[in-house]
Amino acid sequence: MAQIKIDTLTKEFPGGVVAVNALNLDVPHGSFMALLGPSGCGKTTTMNMVSGLEQPTSGEIYFDDEPITRVSPGSRNVGFVFQNYAIFTHMTVYDNIGFGLKIRKGGLSKAERHAEVQRIAEIVGLSGSLDRKAGRLSVNDMQKVALGRSMIVKPAIFLLDEPFSNLDAAFRAYMRAELKRIQHEIGQTMVYVTHDQVEAMSMADRIAVMNLGELQQYGTPDEIYNRPRNRFVAGFVGSTQMNFLPAALAPSLAEDGRVDGVTLGIRPEALDLVPTDDPRALLRASVVLVEPLGPKDIVHLEVEGRPVRVVAPPGRRPRVGDNVGVACDTKRVHRFDDETDLTI
Amino acid sequence: MAGIRLENVTKRFGSITALDGVSLEVQDGEFFTVLGHPGAGKTTLLRTIVGLEHPEEGDVFVDDDRITDVYPGDRDIAIMFQNLALYPDKTVRDNLAFPLRQAKTPKPEIERRVAEVARTLRIESLLQRKPAKLSGGERQRVALGRAMVRDPRALLLDEPLSALDALLRLEMRAELKRLQREVGRTVVYVTHDQVEAMSMSDRIAVLREGVLQQVDVPEGIYHRPANRFVATVVGSPPMNFLPVTAVRSGGGLVLRHELFETAVDSPDAAAQPADGDACLLGVRPEDVHVASGHGIPASVYVTEPLGGETVVDLDVAGRLVKALVDPTLALKEGDAVHISLDGSRLHLFDENGEGLVSAAGEPLFNHLIPLR
Repeated sequence: MAQIKIDTLTKEFPGGVVAVNALNLDVPHGSFMALLGPSGCGKTTTMNMVSGLEQPTSGEIYFDDEPITRVSPGSRNVGFVFQNYAIFTHMTVYDNIGFGLKIRKGGLSKAERHAEVQRIAEIVGLSGSLDRKAGRLSVNDMQKVALGRSMIVKPAIFLLDEPFSNLDAAFRAYMRAELKRIQHEIGQTMVYVTHDQVEAMSMADRIAVMNLGELQQYGTPDEIYNRPRNRFVAGFVGSTQMNFLPAALAPSLAEDGRVDGVTLGIRPEALDLVPTDDPRALLRASVVLVEPLGPKDIVHLEVEGRPVRVVAPPGRRPRVGDNVGVACDTKRVHRFDDETDLTI
Repeated sequence: MAGIRLENVTKRFGSITALDGVSLEVQDGEFFTVLGHPGAGKTTLLRTIVGLEHPEEGDVFVDDDRITDVYPGDRDIAIMFQNLALYPDKTVRDNLAFPLRQAKTPKPEIERRVAEVARTLRIESLLQRKPAKLSGGERQRVALGRAMVRDPRALLLDEPLSALDALLRLEMRAELKRLQREVGRTVVYVTHDQVEAMSMSDRIAVLREGVLQQVDVPEGIYHRPANRFVATVVGSPPMNFLPVTAVRSGGGLVLRHELFETAVDSPDAAAQPADGDACLLGVRPEDVHVASGHGIPASVYVTEPLGGETVVDLDVAGRLVKALVDPTLALKEGDAVHISLDGSRLHLFDENGEGLVSAAGEPLFNHLIPLR
């Protein structure tokens, strides 16, 4: 177990591309930290510098106050799980999970190894498949093997790079809960790289949102979702994207009266469809499209030529072309400065 | 424009049966989605319709023309693959015009069609650009335009959004649906993404290992799944299943779980299980309600905040049940809670996962009675 400190870390690739720019992050001991951002934001480069696969151009990384940028990857005591599970397909699940212990010199006795393999198999949910050849398993179970293989050597830091992105949706939902629970049980520091905001929100204690090599915000899921620092973070997190409207379209929502150069950010679930003559209707809109998702609908509206999405229960589904009023939970309106994109 | 019909289509590759006796009918002008996991046979289905694969058994019809043996180029069906193959050295205009030039279309007609498609797809301002100068979404539109430009009888789309990032996918989802409504063309859309299938389609066909599981409107797939597989394939997080035993008492049916029981009031008695049968009670996460005080005892295994809502994983007699709750509900790991299940939204499956009863809004399952 270890804490990670990233100090003004910069990575510039030949040709002048700055993949990571002066990044500062503190990952406390035992926490589950997600590096979240779109492709090309620098999250994988950051992780590669933590693992030692890339050397930073400048800056330093500390594990428990020890600088490690000049330590070789093999000596950093870091465990990996990648998107493409790295396992030995010709070996049994048992031998795959036990491999890291076996090759370690001066390690555990055979009986101790056996007990440890059993314990890890139990944690990752493979107790019933220990004798099977890893190559014969489902894609889902192969990823569990990869997880177990990394866990057994008890790395100080666990790095996971989009480990679930090749798995089907139902299994991803299952593994999200399992991994979070596993992390709580083993208490190891985990850094989890993902472009999927649902994974970051649901599992992590803290999320570092990156874009174009720059850290946008570092905070708890609650802070990232409810108090985004800027328009990028606000728009990136949330399963249906936040609506952005010029404040001039709804001056009643501008609490300090400032309308010029201000954009309002309103999450689709903070809006509600009401009759046009309802006193709560702050905006008038027409229905462009209805997307039924099962438990809820996403209703696409047009407000003075601008798209607005509302998440609504499917019970009173409007029809395309209907005129509707839009009510808004005014306490849940975010405001952004158009110059800086920062939250006001 | 045209309807498409598959009759008992079987396609094998060596020992693998990619499509196993698939029969389905796509209506003229319909947005029809084929949903399934990777390897389910979805792409093979599209390739069979367009003529890139020839089925071992069965036939493909467009309207009432049997086209099973018609050369792909003569079927007048366009297909757009996941990996968009735009010509990098040609401008958008030339990319769009290419299929028409191949077909030796007269020049004024080419210009008219390209202009029309560009207007529909809102890419008029991009016509002089090369693909490298376009964003992902713009390239997607151009590829779509190229598939549409010959005005085919039907348009087949193979995972067209899967290469896009999440926000763009959201935008293109709505855009594609709008477009299809506007041009009114038959679209057969293949995806592994249940949100795309639910949100865009008029009807959905769920395919599993080459076998068709159910064809229905999105609400039907969601609220009346034919079997456990279909129930799991739509909905996020997926449906929960609780093991119950069927108890026949008098003429009625009671389902008994370790912690609770409920009587079923379904007119569909023939489908009901026999006394002592093991069954599965299915309930979607949004229909599990967390309360304190009364109900079925459970403990919080882990919580997953999503921002607008929170997924709570509950340990119910040793099984995990996911519930969708309001994010303001303060729950932490280990908390003892009680849950209730919405009796008008429960599903009953037999041991093999075949659907027996789906409440779909009707209160078919009586109030749950805790047994302790």
